[in-house]
Amino acid sequence: MKRKPLMNEVRLGLVLLVLMAALTIISPRFLTLSNLSNVIWSVCFIGILASGAIYPRITGGIDLSLGSLAALSGILVDMFMNRYGINWIIAIALTVVIGAVIGLFNGFIVAKIKVPAFVVTMAAKTYLYGVALVVSNGAMLAILKPKPFIAIGTGRLFNLPNPIYIMLVMVVLSQFLLKKTAFGRKVMAVGANEVAAKLSGIDPDSIRLLSYMLSGAATAVGGVVLASLTQQVFAAAASGVELEVMTALVIGGTSPVGGKGSVVGALLGAVMVAFIINGLNLMNVPAPYHPIVTGSVIILALLMNEGYLVPKKRNVLSGHRQAAA
Amino acid sequence: MKTEHKSDILLECRHIVKSYNGPIVLDDVDFSVKRGEVHSLVGENGAGKSTLIKIITGATDRNSGDIVFNGQALPLQYSRKFAESLGIAVIYQELSLIPGMTVAQNIFLSREPLYPRTRIINKKKMNVMAQELIDRYNFPLKPNDLIDNISIAQRQLVEILKALSGNASLMIMDEPTSSLTRTEVEMLFKIIHTLKSEGISVLYISHRMEEVYALSDRVTVLRDGKLVSVLEKEQISPAEIIRLMIGHRLEENAVHHHLPKIEGRKPVLEVEGLTSVGKFADISFTLHEGEVLGIGGLVGSGRTELVRALYGIDPYDKGSIRYLGKPWVPSVHASIRSGIGFIPEERRIQGILATQTITRNIGVTNLDRLAPRGVVKSRQEKQLAMDGIRLVNVKPPDPEHLVGNLSGGNQQKVVLAKWLVRNLKLIFIDEPTVGIDIGAKEEIYGHIRALAEQGVSVILVSSDLPELTRLSDRVLILRKGRIIKEFKECVLTSEKILRAASGILEEDDEA
Repeated sequence: MKRKPLMNEVRLGLVLLVLMAALTIISPRFLTLSNLSNVIWSVCFIGILASGAIYPRITGGIDLSLGSLAALSGILVDMFMNRYGINWIIAIALTVVIGAVIGLFNGFIVAKIKVPAFVVTMAAKTYLYGVALVVSNGAMLAILKPKPFIAIGTGRLFNLPNPIYIMLVMVVLSQFLLKKTAFGRKVMAVGANEVAAKLSGIDPDSIRLLSYMLSGAATAVGGVVLASLTQQVFAAAASGVELEVMTALVIGGTSPVGGKGSVVGALLGAVMVAFIINGLNLMNVPAPYHPIVTGSVIILALLMNEGYLVPKKRNVLSGHRQAAA
Repeated sequence: MKTEHKSDILLECRHIVKSYNGPIVLDDVDFSVKRGEVHSLVGENGAGKSTLIKIITGATDRNSGDIVFNGQALPLQYSRKFAESLGIAVIYQELSLIPGMTVAQNIFLSREPLYPRTRIINKKKMNVMAQELIDRYNFPLKPNDLIDNISIAQRQLVEILKALSGNASLMIMDEPTSSLTRTEVEMLFKIIHTLKSEGISVLYISHRMEEVYALSDRVTVLRDGKLVSVLEKEQISPAEIIRLMIGHRLEENAVHHHLPKIEGRKPVLEVEGLTSVGKFADISFTLHEGEVLGIGGLVGSGRTELVRALYGIDPYDKGSIRYLGKPWVPSVHASIRSGIGFIPEERRIQGILATQTITRNIGVTNLDRLAPRGVVKSRQEKQLAMDGIRLVNVKPPDPEHLVGNLSGGNQQKVVLAKWLVRNLKLIFIDEPTVGIDIGAKEEIYGHIRALAEQGVSVILVSSDLPELTRLSDRVLILRKGRIIKEFKECVLTSEKILRAASGILEEDDEA
């Protein structure tokens, strides 16, 4: 079967167009600026996080600490600026570095001590939530200054909210790193076959380490943008977002076992989930039904990506070795 | 029909035919095992041993032929479970035991003694039963030992007890000694004798002639899917078995290979006293420019471990290496940068990125050239992939094809291509043609010879004897981690290699 490089993203884009057309027909309110700007925020946040979280995923691991780390990052940046009076740019830089270091620590345990990523990052999710509670005294803190910081999330450029640009820059950078650089190739190789990667001169441990570091750094960026937009920080500010990010990744064609993935696909996945939920709202479907729909979409996307809904395609992952006679 | 009296034949296979979509792997094979005998099944790789075992144990079906076990005719297709219930047991190395459970739990897995009228396991009784079994055979085991904490040899004993407790009458042991120490092997032999004295038949499969010789009551020799001979006890000798395994293939085809003189060429790799404890010891040789150095030996003789150490994957304990005249400490990274390549055995597990395209598979070993500053030059990458595909004639010649969807031969060609597009000086090749069709095999042979003609040095590890004799300029034979024989400037035959690998050394080998 012939596979064009962009096929996955193009397919997603087409599905998205169909979805938009359907929603436009169903509800005239869908394609209005006020409605779309409701949708956009969650897409931006998930897009920023996914641009980092995709790396551990492609190496075959997972980062479940995103929600706690994003909230902690908001609390930290507020603390640096408003408790210690540090310049907002330096405060953001500091926060991103801390996010990267926490990611590095996760990566260290996964790569060197060989603990499953699922366990390591779930533990991180828990203790980072605790750290966030301690640092914030368990309170919800409002951020009212400095002005330039608030403008990051709330300002507009060419009549579009700033977070869109931040998200697009992150996604493009991440996609470039993944698809066009030696590092990205190595990440893919480690996820596809660690032994073969090793024999090709790649050090899987350091690739893993860097993957979790990227995830931590991108999450910190997301947390900073979230804090600026909502102008408030608290330990549970982003709880559960890791599941939304994983959903976007799966729908976007990132393999659940590693070795394959696309940041642009994840963004389209995030947009799709946001549209579906928005559509359900517009159609007045009660909120309890939303997770049922989202969950079903994940399963459908998985089946599609594994080739079950596409006629005749061999699943290369399940092919087993032919034993010699 | 079950009316006949208990004959002394336990297992009788007649006219067994098996083909896997085309090529016939078993052609009209007769095979029988008597009650209480140790029967060895021997043959080269590809002779059909594994397939015959798979048919007997129910792991695969047969196309035609009859199997009678214990007086009962078996259907063309049956499950492993069914075979097990009849008393056919296979002793796996370690695969079938559950690591986190105890010896007793493993022995009685899914057959645990229960408290009456409940589904609750009577653990005390289970441990007592396990202890009884252990005492009966005097095995160094405790019912409460965790599988995690016992040696491979002990795990084998657990497998044997598991089979015995399931009332096995035929025990199949496939290369059971390949990871055992000498004393463990002796213990296993004693156990086999005990089993025999209890009337249990043992079907023994091994490449090690001295074991076959020491243990067997009878030996069945297979060659190219056909039955060659059944030797009775007094006819068995290692040399005779080897003669039958190889047959007259070489004499008939007259392809005796005269290994040419290699003196006067520049040395590329000089290895001195290389030792890795438990793997290989005191390995010394010099590899010259444009030379194909074959490394022969039985599975487990240290061949793969040696090339892995030379390429820099595994460390070694002692010895020195010189590469291109300079002292050399191998690491995978340094090897690749310095013109050394490596084609691993088991391409699916170690060689390919199945979920990725041919372009990516070739690209990943060449990132140093394609992305000198970190960013991959896509056009150059594609060009490299096209070059590679053209060099080795991959089908289909589509750089965007997923490697996992290619045939085995084409997968191996891709693995070869990613090195051929580099400027190689030396390449290690381990079992390059396992599971590959004849056509692709010939093509790969052509590439290996062409490499040598271009001045690239090749170290070729292979269990395929004709492959070794045909491609090599010189052959080293490893046995138990040591070089025990070097063939150079002589007539080389498969038989000579196998005799040396089996430890049968004679004065007149230097013919």
